[in-house]
Amino acid sequence: MTGTDPFTIPPEVAFETRYDVAIIGSGVSGALIAKSLAARGLRVIVVEAGPGEDVTIADYTKSVERFYSAVSKDNNAPYAHSRNAPMPRDYDAVKLHDGQPNDRGYLVQNGPFEIDSTYSRVLGGTTRHWEAKALRMLPDDFRMQSAFGRGRDWPIGYDDLAPDYIRAERELGVSGNVEDQGYGGLTFEDGYVYPMKRMPPSFLDKTMAKDLDGLEVTVGDETFSLNVRSTPQARNGIPNAAYDGGKGFTPTGAVSIHQAEMGERCQGNTNCVPICPVQAKYDARRTLLAAMDTGHVHLLPRTVAARVEIDSTTGRVTGVTCKTYANKDAPGHITGTLNATTYVLAANAVENARLMLASDLHGSSNLMGRNLMDHAYLLTWGLMPQVVGTGRGPLCTSGIEDIRTGAYRSHHAAVRFSIHNDGWGWATGAPYTDLADLVDARNLTGIALRNALIDRVGRQLLLDCMIEVLPEESNRISVDPRHLDQMGNPRPVVSFDIPDYTLETVAFSRRLTRRIYQRLGAEDHSHYTPSAPGWVTHDGEGFTVRGGNHWAGTHIMGTHAKTSVVDATQRSWDHDNLYLAGAGSMPSIGTANTTLTLAALCLRTADAIAHDLAPGTAAPSASTRREGVSA
Amino acid sequence: MTPDTPHNDLRPGFLALSTALTGFSEHELLGTGQTMIYLQTVCDMARSDCIADMLDAFCACAIGDDKAALDRHLRLCILSHPRHGPLARNLVKLWYTGTWHCLPRDWHESYGGNPADHDHIPSPTSYTEGLLWPAIGANPPGAKPFGYGMWANPPRVFRA
Repeated sequence: MTGTDPFTIPPEVAFETRYDVAIIGSGVSGALIAKSLAARGLRVIVVEAGPGEDVTIADYTKSVERFYSAVSKDNNAPYAHSRNAPMPRDYDAVKLHDGQPNDRGYLVQNGPFEIDSTYSRVLGGTTRHWEAKALRMLPDDFRMQSAFGRGRDWPIGYDDLAPDYIRAERELGVSGNVEDQGYGGLTFEDGYVYPMKRMPPSFLDKTMAKDLDGLEVTVGDETFSLNVRSTPQARNGIPNAAYDGGKGFTPTGAVSIHQAEMGERCQGNTNCVPICPVQAKYDARRTLLAAMDTGHVHLLPRTVAARVEIDSTTGRVTGVTCKTYANKDAPGHITGTLNATTYVLAANAVENARLMLASDLHGSSNLMGRNLMDHAYLLTWGLMPQVVGTGRGPLCTSGIEDIRTGAYRSHHAAVRFSIHNDGWGWATGAPYTDLADLVDARNLTGIALRNALIDRVGRQLLLDCMIEVLPEESNRISVDPRHLDQMGNPRPVVSFDIPDYTLETVAFSRRLTRRIYQRLGAEDHSHYTPSAPGWVTHDGEGFTVRGGNHWAGTHIMGTHAKTSVVDATQRSWDHDNLYLAGAGSMPSIGTANTTLTLAALCLRTADAIAHDLAPGTAAPSASTRREGVSA
Repeated sequence: MTPDTPHNDLRPGFLALSTALTGFSEHELLGTGQTMIYLQTVCDMARSDCIADMLDAFCACAIGDDKAALDRHLRLCILSHPRHGPLARNLVKLWYTGTWHCLPRDWHESYGGNPADHDHIPSPTSYTEGLLWPAIGANPPGAKPFGYGMWANPPRVFRA
């Protein structure tokens, strides 16, 4: 501990200490593993590439004000950037021309598809800007090959992971309603309730449900009845007194090393992405601070892992060489090596692969960095017949889940739909673009402008179509010595294309959403332009597909070293004291945002590590875990 | 604001024009706390004599409460005027979103505004005080929330 910063340790101390476990990355994966291991008495270091200052309300307020003051309010706008640990920005994705890579941002886009997904290199990782949707994957998602002859099977099934989903829903603090999750073969333990009651459906959700519920849709040989259902989300709501056999649930509030009266229920700031101003949304700093409270965790920020060192005889990791910077913008760093018994890379699917490939570790399967996945989003947007109060509430409170799986998946990808309470912003830049159009092109001012805005914005509905992408080896992260960052670390090179299996569902989703707008009597304003990044065509029709920030698959999980990178506990097949944790391990992503599932996986990983390093320390039970960390 | 604040003499005209351009009352505009910040911004990014000329043009004829006459006056004397028009449209957007947009290049070439003109938000509160949000019955994203669950109720939107 230093005099000026009570929270972090100096790099000289970190590099001279022998730890039980060294974790690269302070995001949700790293934080969950750190907390679980520290609660069992293991000595842990967590390394964060970003500045890592955000542990006080004052720091957090700075991020909120940075967001207020940013003309471009992209999903990394609130966060302190470091030129020594740059992060992707969505506005750096541009239309690729003549097969030339786009290297204007941190990610080098090799195409052919330009992906506008990002991630955050800050304390807490990308959960800082995530939306906090916390859907479980479906049983079918774990058995894609055996059920549909597509993609890959997981080495574990839904039933194996179900107890870990329960643990993850507690850790993240999920608000939801089990009754609304009765579709697609999802099952829950008898009597299970989410820690908190569902977010109340918005007025828009309810208006849509009135006319939409019961719409029958035939897909392949099956007919589905569509219904608007509430979306589980890691956002503080009203605790459910029936939780945990009637013990109830105590939500975790704002993160601060000082006392703070913030972080209670969602207040409807309509800004889950990129920052919840009242910390009602879960982010991994909550877990990280609980881990720090054990006294067994060191945090080393401003430190970029540069190379994983391997003993060539045993294949075991002997250390991770890191570069620590003092000034987030100026060049200059010191180099040191972390020393631990077990190592965990938890830096996200892109950065984990980047680090392994930068260390010349391609895996005996040669799959490191390959099988890159993300959700493909087709956005559709329209105007409801009446004013529905667009721009109020959490970004999404409900969705349409009924066709998340079916026999049709032998032929084309699965899809779910989110109803956006925040209007067309994601698709068109609304309401700013609406204002500009009304003033500059329609020549409206004064009262006429006010009234036009009500009709133009207050009726907006955006329905996103979140479409599955399966693992393909040609979709990948790689490194190239021609593309280095300021510190000399290789930048990630992204090669990505949208498979036909997914494109078929893009076209299907457009047809289905047209029907939905027809049924609602909504004006369908969706349109796609060939000059936009993300332009794709299918059967003569063109669409713009957006990324979902759900990077996955790059250190894929399986049953054998020749065909996968990690085993079911996320342990590397090649290096038996190395774990690669996070969505990079997932063999499929179905139609669930990846965080809840990767959180469940990481809790299993922590158990596996503890089994090796601290045998006899059982996993802290759900009901005692909270007390355990502050003891 | 003290009487010595620069541009204080422009304040009444600035408020009158802003009221006409935005459709919000003088009382509502003052309530945002942004009036002098915005007056300073337009004077900094354009030129204070350009602003003074525009305000003079607006205040040249007494309109009273005749809304149709006010609308016509705005169109004829301000919005279609080559120098005043772009400034006035920028001012509408500034009040509505808190963002000042760089004036068009040809405006700067013709009228010699500040070469350092650029897109920016004058203060963090400029964003949260944007008129766009109350106009549509919403909160500025990231501020002024209505409270837990209020989004389930019908919106309260008032046509002016």
